[in-house]
Amino acid sequence: MGADSGGEPTETESPASTADTPGGAVSLPDHPIATELAAQPRYGGLDGHLIVAFEDPSCPRCGAFHSQVVPEVRDKLVEPGKAAFVFRNYPVVYAWGGPATQALEATFARDESAFWGLLDYYYRNQSRLSVDTVSRLTESFLAGTGVDETAVVADAENKTYDDAVQTDLDAAEAGGVGRTTPAVALFRDGGFVTTANGSVSYDLIANTLGEA
Amino acid sequence: MARGLARLPTGRSDWRLMARTARLVLSVPTYAVVAVVATVAALTLFVASLNVPLVSSVVVGGSLPLVNRLRVLLELYPFVGTSFGTAQGVLLLVVAALSGVDVSMAVYHLREHGLSLQTGGTSLAGVVLGTLGAGCAACGSAVLLGVASLLGVGSSLLFLPLDGLEFALGALVVLLLSIYWLADGMRGGRVAGCPVDI
Repeated sequence: MGADSGGEPTETESPASTADTPGGAVSLPDHPIATELAAQPRYGGLDGHLIVAFEDPSCPRCGAFHSQVVPEVRDKLVEPGKAAFVFRNYPVVYAWGGPATQALEATFARDESAFWGLLDYYYRNQSRLSVDTVSRLTESFLAGTGVDETAVVADAENKTYDDAVQTDLDAAEAGGVGRTTPAVALFRDGGFVTTANGSVSYDLIANTLGEA
Repeated sequence: MARGLARLPTGRSDWRLMARTARLVLSVPTYAVVAVVATVAALTLFVASLNVPLVSSVVVGGSLPLVNRLRVLLELYPFVGTSFGTAQGVLLLVVAALSGVDVSMAVYHLREHGLSLQTGGTSLAGVVLGTLGAGCAACGSAVLLGVASLLGVGSSLLFLPLDGLEFALGALVVLLLSIYWLADGMRGGRVAGCPVDI
């Protein structure tokens, strides 16, 4: 997501101060994965641990991660104020993930709540989605959210928010997250720890962050 | 060995030969241990190959207590963590187990009869394909899309009905062929005092 993507991140806007990161790791503001971090969709404030997930709505294991792991992350790490969960687009799997990502950006620019709803919708309906159906199904879903669905689909088809998509792709490439999705970058107390690929478990994330 | 390469396990007797030879080799405690060790090593290789940065910076390096490191490693395995779905997990376990049997039979064949380059190469191909299968099992269609784009194939033309498990299925086929050729090479011999031929 790009800096012009609007949205209303919860809690603090500025990245954490990372003067003394654990083990001398690369600190959050200096890491390419954190490029335009405050402008991304997220749960939680940026003053604790950080989980940055690069996801493709067309990737089946991203869907499993989003439905099985993210809720536990929110319950046990985000809600207690220990960590933030940040979403970044990473359309590298099936072709329909490209236009879906454009629609996600266009939706996020208008309403963050509708963005999370659309992302859930994509994951729940992966078997129905294709290059031919993604615009129609996106419009159909957004019709019930209060967002101008026609404008979103037009923006997606015109790639109005392509710069924001490219910002995410550049962050993934510069951060070396690999092409196996989802790719999850973990920052402990403001210091980069590692990336993990695949729909890794909550326990893996919590242990890596020292919160098990 | 040209005869072995030309043969494929087509009949019931071929599958019975494979099963019998594998069972006889694994009935020798030393080779059973080799199979178990090779199975665990193969599975570890499969799952670690997906997350080299994580393993190197958290499990091997880093500052976490040992118990946390081991937990992170365990969470990478099928049915312990959430990285693999049920079908993917079962297929990975089967590929790992077949890798163990294959390695055990190859070691037996090497020690008892000498192993030809062709048969050894087939076993190695099985292990390499198994590793690729593990990578694809998470969501490796992205890898295949990258390879396809290098070959000039547009991503929209690519259809992966098994979401990347195709590599693991390929590994399964190669491992079975490898086991068959190893068993075929042992025809006429004896394992653990029993004749290989049925």
